[in-house]
Amino acid sequence: MTTPAKGGVCPYKGVAYVELRAGHDQLYFGRWRRNDATSIDLRKAYRQLERLLHELAAAIDKEDIPAARLDLEKAFEALHTAGPDEEGPELLRYLDHALSYAHRVIGDLLHEKGLPPHSPGDFAEWYDAGEVPFREDW
Amino acid sequence: MIPLDRYPKEITLRDDARLVLRPMVPEDVEGLWSFLRQLPEIDKSHFHEDVDRREVVERWAKSLDYDSALPILAIQGDRVVGSATLYRNRTGWKQRIGIVRILIGADVRHLGLGTAMIREIRHLGEKVALNYLLAEVIEEQQAAVRALERMGFERAVVYRNFVNDRKGHLHNLVVLLHPMSGLEKERLY
Repeated sequence: MTTPAKGGVCPYKGVAYVELRAGHDQLYFGRWRRNDATSIDLRKAYRQLERLLHELAAAIDKEDIPAARLDLEKAFEALHTAGPDEEGPELLRYLDHALSYAHRVIGDLLHEKGLPPHSPGDFAEWYDAGEVPFREDW
Repeated sequence: MIPLDRYPKEITLRDDARLVLRPMVPEDVEGLWSFLRQLPEIDKSHFHEDVDRREVVERWAKSLDYDSALPILAIQGDRVVGSATLYRNRTGWKQRIGIVRILIGADVRHLGLGTAMIREIRHLGEKVALNYLLAEVIEEQQAAVRALERMGFERAVVYRNFVNDRKGHLHNLVVLLHPMSGLEKERLY
């Protein structure tokens, strides 16, 4: 596991789909979403997200979850709309969309296994994230 | 025929509570009636019948037809704590549109059950090759609206002062649509 801002026991230890969840959260709490993000941060995030989506594709390939396939298609669509050389707020918006669809795919996988949904907020301390937007669940 | 081999299905909520999802059976009358009675008035507004009357629920249980209305119940221990129903028309121009109704018990809200129920209905809708899922929600039910939107439903329209609750007060009705994967494939032909 990489990018721990804090020491101590890794909070992902023993969780299902650890690589996918940690991969998602590294992006969720990544530099590219900060106000002072550089174009290098954005390009790096694009590549990271592309890798995550391919890993998700491999994971859902073994499962019978058609809704997850649809979500993943939308994630790729958002990513490819952004394009690796795009810059500025449009790129940020499409990356955000793609990451959101990726989160939904992870949720689909966890639901199929009967596990609780993934909430990045539960891992915020690991990334030294100051504030995580509140997301009310239903 | 709707595939039901995934049931009973166990799920875990945010607080680690374990629930079982499964289709309603005739023996669920008591459990479902108790569940419906404890729901807030606003959640019962959409029913065409008075669900506080036990005979209404008994009639549903006797006439279960999963191809027209498939009620999936969430059971905690021996208690019904949620339901999600997928309504379908067997024929006609709306036969590829599934109507979704989800009810979540007050004591299990904000733990992810509503979202889990949406995932379940999305799965079933994909399996029976629907083109759209349609959900109608009173605008005040904000948690439900946000959960549906997070799961890919899009606001199609909001009707202002359109529906009334059981006391006659008017409410805005939000209609949300979820395009299914089959729709995209069909557009290719």
